[in-house]
Amino acid sequence: MSEKDISILILDDEPIVAKRLKPALEKKGYKVESFTRSTDAMERVRKQKFDIVITDLKMEGISGMEFLEEVKRLWPDTEIIVITGFATMETAKESFKKGVFDFLAKPFKLGEIVEIVRKAVEHKNKQQHS
Amino acid sequence: MFKINDLIKNLLKSSGPSGGRSFKELFELFREILTLNSAILDQISEANQTLGGDFVFDKHFIETFVEDLSTNVQKLIFALNEMVPVKYDGLIDAYKKIESDIRAILEGRYIGVEKYILFYDEIKKWDEDSVGSKNAFLCQLQPNLNFKIPQGFAITFYAYHQFLAKQGLLAKIKEILNSMDKGECSFQGASKMIQNEILKARIPHDLKHDIKEAVARLKKQLEKSPLLAIRSSAYGEDSEHSFAGLYDTVLGVDEHGILDAYKRVIASTFNANALEYRKKIGFKEDETLMAVGCQELINSQVSGIVYSLNPVDPASDTLIVSSTWGIGGLIVSGRETGDTFFINRKNRKINSVQISWKTYKQKLIGKNKIETVEVDENLRAKPSLTVEQVKNIAECALEIERYFKKPQDIEFAIANGELVILQARPLKIKTGPNLHTKDLASLEQRYNVLIRDQGVTAQEGVGIGEVYVLRQGEDLSNVPAGAILVTKFASPRLAPLIPKISGLITEIGAVTGHLATICREYILPTLFNVSGAISTLKNEGLVTLDATDRRVYRGEVKELFFFNLEQEKIAESYEYRLLRRILRKIEPLNLIDPTDKNFRPENCETFHDITRFVHEKAVETLVNLHFSGINTKDASIKRLKWDIPLDLVIIDVGGGLVGESQIDSTTVTPEHIQSIPMKAMIEGLKCPGAWDSTPVSIDVSSFMSSLTRTFSAEHTDPKALGQNLAVISKHYANLSLRLGYHFTMVDAYVSKNITENYIYFRFFGGVTETERRNRRARMIREVLSHYDFMVDTRGDLVIGRIKRLNQEEMEKRLYLIGILIGFTRQLDVMMTNDVCIFEFKNKICQLMETKNE
Repeated sequence: MSEKDISILILDDEPIVAKRLKPALEKKGYKVESFTRSTDAMERVRKQKFDIVITDLKMEGISGMEFLEEVKRLWPDTEIIVITGFATMETAKESFKKGVFDFLAKPFKLGEIVEIVRKAVEHKNKQQHS
Repeated sequence: MFKINDLIKNLLKSSGPSGGRSFKELFELFREILTLNSAILDQISEANQTLGGDFVFDKHFIETFVEDLSTNVQKLIFALNEMVPVKYDGLIDAYKKIESDIRAILEGRYIGVEKYILFYDEIKKWDEDSVGSKNAFLCQLQPNLNFKIPQGFAITFYAYHQFLAKQGLLAKIKEILNSMDKGECSFQGASKMIQNEILKARIPHDLKHDIKEAVARLKKQLEKSPLLAIRSSAYGEDSEHSFAGLYDTVLGVDEHGILDAYKRVIASTFNANALEYRKKIGFKEDETLMAVGCQELINSQVSGIVYSLNPVDPASDTLIVSSTWGIGGLIVSGRETGDTFFINRKNRKINSVQISWKTYKQKLIGKNKIETVEVDENLRAKPSLTVEQVKNIAECALEIERYFKKPQDIEFAIANGELVILQARPLKIKTGPNLHTKDLASLEQRYNVLIRDQGVTAQEGVGIGEVYVLRQGEDLSNVPAGAILVTKFASPRLAPLIPKISGLITEIGAVTGHLATICREYILPTLFNVSGAISTLKNEGLVTLDATDRRVYRGEVKELFFFNLEQEKIAESYEYRLLRRILRKIEPLNLIDPTDKNFRPENCETFHDITRFVHEKAVETLVNLHFSGINTKDASIKRLKWDIPLDLVIIDVGGGLVGESQIDSTTVTPEHIQSIPMKAMIEGLKCPGAWDSTPVSIDVSSFMSSLTRTFSAEHTDPKALGQNLAVISKHYANLSLRLGYHFTMVDAYVSKNITENYIYFRFFGGVTETERRNRRARMIREVLSHYDFMVDTRGDLVIGRIKRLNQEEMEKRLYLIGILIGFTRQLDVMMTNDVCIFEFKNKICQLMETKNE
């Protein structure tokens, strides 16, 4: 798949995060949608499959952990990247157990997340070919 | 999160004489201060780096940063108070003031300086928090770009707040807005009630007094009774939201009408459209603050507006100038169309012109009356600007756009042939699919990439301009405005160019350095450490620098320009502005010279000041102990006897010197030193060429005179001797030196255990002008970086850190520091040009090589 065919959903209740990530990923050619409310994002993923989901963990309403579980249940081959400001070893371990592709602690560099997304795309492409 | 009460309680508890405290206890406190000192400086430097746009962070990050830092500063004050009870109580007040300002900024309650009036010539870039962005933006144009602006002053947010609070209006306004939110009254109804309250309120006496005094001062400056234009400058007005045209401007106000005009502009904060707009964009009413600009009215023959980019058709790459006869206002208010000129942004050629029939103009009648009058018959169809004037205005508009890194909406006037800028604010651009911003992933297929994935981003963004390679020592004025500047070093001497250029690429530079901080302040797209940049780019013309993606393209990459337009400037987003504002209460260092009479707790304006003050006083305390008969039974205090006139007091807290039986009761020689780190530094100082020889033609006599002045034998007062102290143990050394006018601090721990090993080195001061001292700082930075130190420079302050090397490698670095201390004592005197930096660096590296042989 080329970048143009890759769809990404971003969920973080801090608007600044999507504001930063969306243009940076769009610049690389990905199709990006962003949400600040987990209920809205949930509604969206129930209707449509995304190739990659980037989500925060600590949010009002549906938590990031619940959200990513639901995404994995609906679309098992969607790759999930977790970004959080409250990083502990435990949360990292737990999210990896749930099949998360990678885990990034805030603050992070834009280049880091772009690189993780690139790896996730590469990983997806490999899986499709195998 | 802030535990001031606990802090005060702790301080009171520990108050009392510390005479009984053993030296070891004091030394432990001193060590704690040193650790906190380095931790605080690290935290500050890291936070500044996140402003470059490369980092993604949220408010939680800012809160955590502030909390951690604030706790460390508290601990620092606490530790100093344990060493020297009560003496520096003023630090608590200074801390409380800074902390409460920071908390107010975090909660959105901060209203800037506690002054009613700031004059235009004293308003700085960061005074946006006090006088609103419109005032602050305008005032930058004169000092940075040399444009003429009207003389005048601003009435601050603080004045607005005091006015409303003192007259009980804040509560009334809140009440009315609440009922508006509940739907009990309309926007119009609420607006009318609030405006009436404001217009009938009396301006507090002290505010009235200060406004009158400001008018009198302006009268003196202008040498006549001023006629004024009173303009709004609201909080948040020029950020992501456009409040353009929502508030009132009152033209032609004389000194008697100023208070009413002030109230009118303040009242317009609550006009119905503004209330509706703020509600729509979710702007909280308690964030509403209004400052006012009181400018000399320019009695102009022509006035107008320029858009630096066509806002409805940006792809056309044109700028638009509208102008009409007389004093401004008619075009702004839409009552006259005026003449319109469309100009090509590239070559400044006029593409098309629409000359309108100009029936009316505003004119000054007598001394203080503005009237709308008919335009002379013969001027009605005549263009109000000449081609030359149009081109000049276009040029200025582009320069202002480059400065603010955003298309601009500028009001101008022409009086007696001279262009005056009345106002500049960001222009909202209509973006859309025709701008090809979705094709960015395939740019490489369409453009030549000259530099790819190289260097580090000091400030993200896109800059387009002609390459200019600035050679070492070349005159800065050669650099044309709007250039993409390419240089060898990120030298702080480039600072005056930063507001004028479109981008910066250097071959060597640190993102923690002084220049990087300035680039971030001006949001200049900047890339450091691009090896070979000069040879790659020297023959290029127009290039596009994408500092975010670390690329340089040949020619103009339109797609990136438009992509950049579409993005909200990250530096303008709430979190970045918040962190920037908070750092202003943390980062600047105002207390530099400890011998200055202003080096006092009450003059600490930032956390950095407090940190610096505490460190200096902690060192001083240890030095003075020797002379005040402190209980030192658990430490041995000696003076170093040596050919090199260091005049050092050594305090050994365990294993730093050979046994007592082998030494004299008051003095030691270098041979007696057993401390591993101290020994290594002494070896470096002894290195031939470090202290006693003259690497180039140094003015030895003047240097020696400064030394003898400082170290003359008959002086016994420690203050006259300078604060030269080494606290040592077997594995530890803390060296505080004041040689002539230089301050050096080394803190090092060296043992077989690699994880504990570290060196912290700090150096600043000097006798020459800033530029030479900065060169010396750069030379030290080059040397330290060469030997793997992490280096942080701010002006002439250099901080070098290195950790976790084995004992042998640590000793080698301390030997280097010994050389540096000896070599750089008065080196600033000789730092006449940038080439010296490398000559001296090479010299020091040679000395190091000699050791290795």
